[in-house]
Amino acid sequence: MIELHRVSKVYSVGPVKVPALREVSFRIGKGEFVVLTGASGAGKTTLLRLLYRDDLPSEGDVEVLGYGLVQMRRSQVAAFRRSIGVVFQDAKLLPVRTVYENVAFVLRVLGTPRRDITARAFDALRAVGLSARAQAYPAQLSQGEAQRAALARAIVRRPPLLLADEPTGNLDEAMAGEIVDVLKDIGAGGTTIVLATHQARLAVALRRRTLTLEGGRIVKDEG
Amino acid sequence: MLGFLVGEALRDLRRAGRVAVSAVVLITLSLAALGGFWLVSSNLGHAVAKWRDRVRIVVYLKREPPGGDVAALLERVRVMPGVAGVVFIGKADALRALKQVLGKDAGVVDQLPVNPLPASLEVTPSAAAVTPEGARELLARLAVLPEADDVAGSADWVERFSHWQRLLTTIGLGVGFVLAAASILTVTTATTLILHARRHETEIMRLVGASEWTIRLPVLLQGMMQGLAGAILALGALVVTHSVVAPRLEPLVSLTLGLSQLVFFTPVGVVALLGAGTLLGGLGGWLARAAREP
Ligand SMILES: Nc1ncnc2c1ncn2[C@@H]1O[C@H](COP(=O)(O)OP(=O)(O)O)[C@@H](O)[C@H]1O
Ligand SMILES: [Mg+2]
Repeated sequence: MIELHRVSKVYSVGPVKVPALREVSFRIGKGEFVVLTGASGAGKTTLLRLLYRDDLPSEGDVEVLGYGLVQMRRSQVAAFRRSIGVVFQDAKLLPVRTVYENVAFVLRVLGTPRRDITARAFDALRAVGLSARAQAYPAQLSQGEAQRAALARAIVRRPPLLLADEPTGNLDEAMAGEIVDVLKDIGAGGTTIVLATHQARLAVALRRRTLTLEGGRIVKDEG
Repeated sequence: MLGFLVGEALRDLRRAGRVAVSAVVLITLSLAALGGFWLVSSNLGHAVAKWRDRVRIVVYLKREPPGGDVAALLERVRVMPGVAGVVFIGKADALRALKQVLGKDAGVVDQLPVNPLPASLEVTPSAAAVTPEGARELLARLAVLPEADDVAGSADWVERFSHWQRLLTTIGLGVGFVLAAASILTVTTATTLILHARRHETEIMRLVGASEWTIRLPVLLQGMMQGLAGAILALGALVVTHSVVAPRLEPLVSLTLGLSQLVFFTPVGVVALLGAGTLLGGLGGWLARAAREP
């Protein structure tokens, strides 16, 4: 499903080189739920961005869903991304559209037949427990609800891989718990999940395989 | 899918609001100016063409040739370069024509002791000869006919008129192009605003793997819609102006220019105008996009 081989990433900020990942190697199998943890600045976001080909490694090989991302041509990126759901710390909902429209937007963008859109959008909203809020606008949602709407949008196409970068970062403990429960449900359905979080307690509470980053290196791989 | 793309484009236009409206207004103005000048110029063009057809050079003859010689004389003139046609008008024909012109005063003519009107040849120049030089050369050639007494006619005034028509067309094109450039810039400004307002949509679209054309098309479409809307408004303004002005102006132009009616655009012209507007708007949209993503 995911395989990294001696992956390094160095950002160039003017003349300054910032090493963000150093010789990272690991494999994640189909259906695994993996927690990526480490202090702020450890390289979690950088690693996730390599996984959905938002950026390329400076060195090493990244293989995701059978695609070699380093060799991948630009024109193939769009097709590759359709198999991946991504959520961030901020929900990135479109403010002038309802929750339903935000979820349906993805289907419309990708040319899903009209008659399937409503059913599939509501399936996704039900999966995150938000079908009752379908007609609400993002400004009317709590942060936890907004994050669940973002999750619904990420899974509406039933992607085999879901990447979550600090999805609980803005939430209090109760709301964070809801998100984690939803993620576990999604994982139970067979979706491979990589969840990045700097919240050590959350990582422990999840009791899943945990990769720990420190200064761009994997220092622990346990569980 | 098309419905989605058009819907996105319309939503973008609403978001651009006043700037999109001013872009549409500018496109309307530029196309109304271009179209208006085009209409005036094509009507004048019709008048010029009509007048060119009417240019005649008259060769007054020293005396009426005997019947048998007329055919030979006509043949000699017909083969001259620059001659499209020639008609012989005998003294009697000329008198009859005069009587017709005089109408109820024709009685005066009957009082004349002799027919004072000379016989003449009415020469129609070929299209190539209806230029000032062409007409002068033809006049010179006709003047040396041994039968010729006097030669009259000139194409100078047609040429002067045609010169004005060309000048007007040039001014129209100039004004139109300046306005068109301004309207492209306004569409570009509106589109830049739209791209800014759209950045979240664009980000999400990229993230979920939308194809590049799905991302770009709404932006191009909204530009084209601005252009098309401007073109439709310009066309409407021209239709209204033509229908109000034409009936009032037609008696005057039929008297002065010899045009019985003022023409409007042909269907091809209408399509060209709408196409030009769509193109202007699309270009503005495309330029904004290109400026943002080198
Ligand atoms: N776009 C960037 N340009 C330059 N440096 C960056 C960029 N993104 C991240 N970094 C640097 O790379 C390192 C890892 O950052 P990041 O992957 O965001 O860590 P984390 O997500 O674990 O907090 C940090 O030192 C950060 O400053
Ligand atoms: Mg981060």
